[in-house]
Amino acid sequence: MHFLFAALGHSALGRYMQTSVWGFAVVEAIHLLAIAVLGGSVLIIDLRLLGVILRKETTRALSRDLGRLLLGSLAVLILTGITMVSEEALKCYYSPAFRWKMALLGASVLFYFTLHRRSLIQADQHALTIWSRITAIISMSLWLGVGVAGRAIGFL
Amino acid sequence: MPFLQRLCQLLYESRIGTAIRESDNAFPIIESIHVLGITLLVGTIAMLDLRMLGVTLRQVPVTRIARAVLPLTWSGFVVMFISGFLLFWSEAAKNYTNPAFRVKLVLLILAGINPLIFHTGVYRRAKEWELAAVAPWRARIAAIASLTLWSGIIVAGRAIAYFDRHS
Repeated sequence: MHFLFAALGHSALGRYMQTSVWGFAVVEAIHLLAIAVLGGSVLIIDLRLLGVILRKETTRALSRDLGRLLLGSLAVLILTGITMVSEEALKCYYSPAFRWKMALLGASVLFYFTLHRRSLIQADQHALTIWSRITAIISMSLWLGVGVAGRAIGFL
Repeated sequence: MPFLQRLCQLLYESRIGTAIRESDNAFPIIESIHVLGITLLVGTIAMLDLRMLGVTLRQVPVTRIARAVLPLTWSGFVVMFISGFLLFWSEAAKNYTNPAFRVKLVLLILAGINPLIFHTGVYRRAKEWELAAVAPWRARIAAIASLTLWSGIIVAGRAIAYFDRHS
């Protein structure tokens, strides 16, 4: 793993990011925009799962459309994220905040494709259960955790 | 010294402004809350904009999405505005001359005018077009303006710190 981070730091991308004045700012701004789209789609899907908004819509239809936005913005986030890591790869490698962020990101994505997906399918067949609500709260907390840990990379 | 600059200087030197600036943790904590507020605001309004453009949730009536997201958007706005004002309070004198800050303020005013035009204009007849997969052109222009302006506000907001560092 250490080798991968070192290689990323010494790659052409890494060297460009380390010398460019505005490179990091531009990539970070795109990262922030994608966070807004991902946050918006997560929030709407999970508030629906909680039964707070859009109760007349099926969770299946909502999650199909918003799921595309979520995964699209996630792709942008990963690409811009790797680009930002290349600027100071080894610092990220040793940063506890960065490790937390990667662990929470892994957990969020895993949760999204497994238990969360199951809850979305079940929510249309049955009335909203305590489980679907718990799923929604876990999902929002996990994604929020990714953001908070990401914010902490710059401070810790 | 121009009136606005004097006002900024007064805020900057006030007890609260100085306390936020000199605290180790206050600025980063308020800034994180500011980013969360912006995410809530832009993330939710973007869903309404993307719906009107026909990108997502085409089969859900526009007014239904508006009713669902606008309270969230307003909550985000309140959080963003209060936390943003506290950040400004602590570095007002520096912000006054910061080009990114000036651009951000202009964009914020435009982003405020846009929904005024939208809600007093084409949205009043939303019942006539809310079911259409793609909204009429006036609504699409408002949506594109909203997405562009808020993106610009995020970019300009992020750039404030870079201008501070490089000037």
